[in-house]
Amino acid sequence: MKPLPWLVFASIALAQWIAPLLQIWRHERTISHGTLFKFKCSAPDPYDLLRGRYLAVRPVESSAMPPAGAPMGQNAFVELTVGSDGFAKPGNLSITPPTSGDYLDVKIRYAFGDHATIEWPFDRFYLNEKLAPQADQWFAEHIRSDKGIVAEVRVFNGRGVLTDLTYDNKSVLDILKAQSK
Amino acid sequence: MDSSNNRWLLQQLPEWERQGLISSAAAQTLRERYAADDGGAGVSHVIMAALGALLVGTGLIALIGYNWDQFSRPTRLLFAFLPLLVTQVLSLRVVRLGSAAATWKRESVALLQAFAAGACLLLVSQIYNLGGDWPDFLFAWFLLSLPLVWVFRSEAVAIFYLVAIAVWAVAQTDRGAPWHQSAFLYPLLLLGLFPYWPGWKAERPLSVALRWVLAGSALFGLGGAAFLACRGNPGEYPQDSLAAALWLMTLTTAGMTLLPLSSAGIARSTGRKPQVVLGALWVLGYGMAATFREVSQDILQGAAYAMKTGWSWGLLGMIGGFVVLAVGKQRWALLAIASVAFLPLAILPFQTQQPPSGALLSVLAALQLFGIGLTLIVLDLLGRRGSPRFGALLLCLLIIVRLGDSDLSLLTKGSIFLLVGLAFLAFNFFMSRRRQTSLHTIS
Repeated sequence: MKPLPWLVFASIALAQWIAPLLQIWRHERTISHGTLFKFKCSAPDPYDLLRGRYLAVRPVESSAMPPAGAPMGQNAFVELTVGSDGFAKPGNLSITPPTSGDYLDVKIRYAFGDHATIEWPFDRFYLNEKLAPQADQWFAEHIRSDKGIVAEVRVFNGRGVLTDLTYDNKSVLDILKAQSK
Repeated sequence: MDSSNNRWLLQQLPEWERQGLISSAAAQTLRERYAADDGGAGVSHVIMAALGALLVGTGLIALIGYNWDQFSRPTRLLFAFLPLLVTQVLSLRVVRLGSAAATWKRESVALLQAFAAGACLLLVSQIYNLGGDWPDFLFAWFLLSLPLVWVFRSEAVAIFYLVAIAVWAVAQTDRGAPWHQSAFLYPLLLLGLFPYWPGWKAERPLSVALRWVLAGSALFGLGGAAFLACRGNPGEYPQDSLAAALWLMTLTTAGMTLLPLSSAGIARSTGRKPQVVLGALWVLGYGMAATFREVSQDILQGAAYAMKTGWSWGLLGMIGGFVVLAVGKQRWALLAIASVAFLPLAILPFQTQQPPSGALLSVLAALQLFGIGLTLIVLDLLGRRGSPRFGALLLCLLIIVRLGDSDLSLLTKGSIFLLVGLAFLAFNFFMSRRRQTSLHTIS
């Protein structure tokens, strides 16, 4: 029996496990060790052909001060602060990770002068197919209310994991499930 | 000959032996020489395997997804990994069979495992609400599928890989990303597949279906790299970048046309060489467009802009090598066709005014296409490898295009069209007669 096919097969079988497991480990670590930040956002309801229904999460605050010569399309690190309203605010952008404080690895979508638009690393909150039509209607009714919809994100070592969407401190999923009963 | 021709020949041999057309010894020699390759992946095998794998994978995911909300996160993760585990166990059984494994088994398990790996990545990213762009997911997916091509010699996964890398390269044409995350990576990704290595031996030629996908993938993938090479920095939109990218694509297709082949490869019919068909059609279409003065001006500006990029110099170096090899193999017809891509380069040094005038290029392009048409005819008449009907068609098209662009009266145009049409029909008749005479002489 030739050893090469076995070797290649074993390597690829292992790699096919390692790739998703690594993702899981990183995200579980962020969820358990990360600092909680709340982003006020808008959330229309699109459809991902590959992964199904989700709510597109777009934080209202998405501009920051770019570093000198920041090229568009490249990744950078944005410092996170909390405003007087309790919501997260993007601070300075830098090419290297800040030495202290919480920060996120983001992409610079557009930069001109002292203004940069950033692309947050969390942009979707997945929904059950059954809840999606109801979620559409619910969001249309509540998106412009004073309380607004809030994305709860755990941040650790530059990585952010969207853990929940809330409205008036209640999970949006729980609200929708309660309504559907 | 491909396996279907071999099978046909083997079916005929007993009848030929019975009729006394060939001796038993000759029949045996033919049987050994043209043995049917039952291990090869037929198109039907690949399609059936792909359909089966798709349906099984989709069905499983849909069944799990129906009750998705009822499960905790660990249970969902279990469901994400379960199909991967099952397909890996199935694959393991086929690996143990080695070369004794039937083609449909190899194709099915390889494709199932590739889909299961992709589904696992998707489900994990859904469970954790991961953002990110779809090309990033595609990149991880095709890299995790590539070794399955090596292990199972799977044509279906090879086709998936070729399509996926081309789609990814076309999507990665934004400036700003490092080269290894951009369309510039495409040539390396292509090398990852070709030629099904490691441990590759030229056991049999690639199937025609795979060749077409390979040629199409190269056209789009290298085209993506050409567009990226000509793009300005983010936020900048250079005026000539599109014309430059189109010229680089034409250089790429000229290179595809001249891709070095073995003597057996050169002797194969053109239909089995899709890189030649696609490349020649693109180059000649580009040449036809260059006969228009306004387009010629854009082409010259584009070529001048493209020559500032490193990509164009790399391409020229590679094609230079191909040209030398093609001259060695006396592939004159293809050399004539590929030469269209270099005409703007030859003219650029003589263009002193800005913007350059397209007059010279448009006239020379028309003359060059006329010369190519004649060359393709004359080569055949001289007994070399040409393509007389294609040459005649090219001449006809050139005349139609140029007349359509002229200010001649409708009466004159109509008369010329009539004459050209009659000449084309007469030529076709002459070539048919010549072929029949030649076959008669051989028999």
